[in-house]
Amino acid sequence: MNDSYKIVSSSILYWFSQKKWFVFSVLTGIFLVLIGPPIDFLNANGEPNIAGYHSLVILLMVFILVTSQPIPFPAIALLALVLQVLLGVAPADEVASSLMNDAVLFVMGSLMFAIAIVHQGLDIRLAKIIIKIFGRNKRLFIAGLMFISAVLSSFLGEHTIIAIMLPIGLSVIRNIDSSKPDGKNAVLLTLFSIAYGTIIGSIGTPSGGARNVIMINYIREFSNVTIDYWDWMQYAYPILIIQLVMAYFVLQFVFPSSLDNIQLQGYKKSVAKSNSATNIRHIFSSIIIAIIVAGWFLFNEQFGLGIIALCGVLIFMICGMVSWEVINKNTNWGVILLFAATISLGFQINDTGAAEWLINKFNMMISNLPEDSSFSWSFMTIITGLTANFFTSSATTSLLGPMAIELEPNNVIFGMSAAIASGFSFLTVISSPTAMILYSTGLISVKLFFRIGLLMFASSIVILYLMSRFYWVML
Amino acid sequence: MNILIAIGGRDYSKPTLDLGMKVANSLEASTTIAYVGKKVSQFSEKDVSVVHQNLDERQLYRPGVRTLEWAYDFLNSKNYIQEEKNDFNDHLLVDEENSRMRVLLKGKHSNKIDLILRTGEIIEQLRSEVQTNNHDITIIGGGSNKGMHHDLVQFIDSSVLVVKNYSLKKEYKILLPVNNSIGSNNAIEIAEQFAKANKLKVEIVTVLENKPSDENLKKILEKTAKRFSKSRIKNTTRVLEGSVVETITESASDDSIIMLGVSPKNPVIKYFFGSKPISIAQKCKCPVLIAK
Repeated sequence: MNDSYKIVSSSILYWFSQKKWFVFSVLTGIFLVLIGPPIDFLNANGEPNIAGYHSLVILLMVFILVTSQPIPFPAIALLALVLQVLLGVAPADEVASSLMNDAVLFVMGSLMFAIAIVHQGLDIRLAKIIIKIFGRNKRLFIAGLMFISAVLSSFLGEHTIIAIMLPIGLSVIRNIDSSKPDGKNAVLLTLFSIAYGTIIGSIGTPSGGARNVIMINYIREFSNVTIDYWDWMQYAYPILIIQLVMAYFVLQFVFPSSLDNIQLQGYKKSVAKSNSATNIRHIFSSIIIAIIVAGWFLFNEQFGLGIIALCGVLIFMICGMVSWEVINKNTNWGVILLFAATISLGFQINDTGAAEWLINKFNMMISNLPEDSSFSWSFMTIITGLTANFFTSSATTSLLGPMAIELEPNNVIFGMSAAIASGFSFLTVISSPTAMILYSTGLISVKLFFRIGLLMFASSIVILYLMSRFYWVML
Repeated sequence: MNILIAIGGRDYSKPTLDLGMKVANSLEASTTIAYVGKKVSQFSEKDVSVVHQNLDERQLYRPGVRTLEWAYDFLNSKNYIQEEKNDFNDHLLVDEENSRMRVLLKGKHSNKIDLILRTGEIIEQLRSEVQTNNHDITIIGGGSNKGMHHDLVQFIDSSVLVVKNYSLKKEYKILLPVNNSIGSNNAIEIAEQFAKANKLKVEIVTVLENKPSDENLKKILEKTAKRFSKSRIKNTTRVLEGSVVETITESASDDSIIMLGVSPKNPVIKYFFGSKPISIAQKCKCPVLIAK
């Protein structure tokens, strides 16, 4: 057989094997567009709602592509935008204007802000503080790692805090002999304490995760209810605290260890030797961070969370504490573009009436069940939580958020629950930066993460249900 | 000649390294040992990269470096490389291209061994490594993932040695099925050098499938036997009858290393329906080399 034919056919086959999910999603999209909308999917004029139907087809395609990742994120984002115009979901100007809002600015600002913070090397200073407060014994130290991770992550986002806390965790466990169960459990207990701390913390305030800001925008847009920074904390922080306590005991139970292997004294000495006390850069960056967090608290309604995050980046850059090259190199522009495209799609799904049609279908499905909002709440929350574990939390909120609000537009509990449930990234390693970073260390397996995460996920849903049922109604 | 040895966790990479280095030494090849780290979701790839940079700055090993250090120590302990000093604490990571990093040791180290860190989907990374550095043989541990064996043979542009159930203590013999394909000629060449260097016996076989006799195959069998005898390699010959996959699978025992040529079939047909060498690699419970 001709060698060049073999090479070409082999290359095509390789492309196909790598892009099969892309081919599948395109074929699915073409098939669905060709068969057209269901007969009961009508617009306000009583005509078939082609635009709404096509927005759902694009949603399905984006879902397949983001989950399987056969093409780069920027390509998925561009595809979603192009298809919205080509399939007549919305005119080009409308798509362009829905592309940028405070949530997208926040995603961009928080990613850049995180890089600026991590670049300052604050981990040694933080380690000193943790040792000072929690260093009296090893178990208290582990609890301290979890607590500090959670509190900081609630304000600065999990991707920032895991980058700062992981080196601390790895320094503590670097000399542990993990071939013995006690040592292995000590390693896992330390790593999971930091990871669960940052994951749980990210639900605490709007700046904890982009999904929180996306939901605040949706609630403001679709329900005409404004939730500010403090309001969000009132809803979410008590859940965070209960989850933290539960996570602490779950991890102690799952990874029983004497902690004898952890050389805390050695770590204390190495931290004490470092010369961070004289580092003015740390003090100055801590002041900038404090100013930005205060700005989020005090001026979020006035200026938006995104603009305030960008102010932080701006100050770091003007002061020469981080260069544009560093920010440009380490910012995930693909994710920013993808969020912009999915948020735009989320708005179109709502504006075209597709979200309403889906919710009506869902309500019809459950019409035979007892009239209790608990059922639709549970369904929505579990679906959102599970989807977020396979699709990441912010993308889930941007796509499913409008539908969650549509279930009960006058009740913010649904929107808030969807956003918080999408932060329960305990099941898969792809669900959050924290999980992915932990997995990338090679010290934990997918199965282990899932097994422990299942317990955390189920109990977190129960905690959320109880809090929304008995505590949120009092707010 | 260039050889690529892909390693994963320490527990199951010892046999791969051991057999890989035996093959490399017998072929006098330069060797690249590559650790392919977990594939990172696009959502988190920059976050992971920032954390890894942070770990480097704190002199905390980034994932994979410890495994490479272990591999280096293992090769030293087995005298595959002989170094006066092996100081991994003094290593340097050189970012060579997207998702490829070279580990440089500041102490003395072998010029024949390259230590590489890669991150991503294993087939994609190994394919890229082979294409960029023109490796002739790729050696990888054989897990239970049959789809991976298929993709390795299908998409990696080098001979592939899948190391399954290999014991460092056991004495092995080579099972060499021959036919008239180019791949088979290459397998014969590798088998000859490997058997000679390691003083292994070779069992040369050919399979008559759906035909009572084939003079051409018998000639190849005899010619190969003569070649091996001339090189003073102990060998036996056998003509087998029946299905190629079944007879070779049955002929292979725990102490066999099968070396055979790649199927000359159309790649499209191989992709959808597989091929005999791929089926043999999937079914046999011993190391299998498929030569291209």
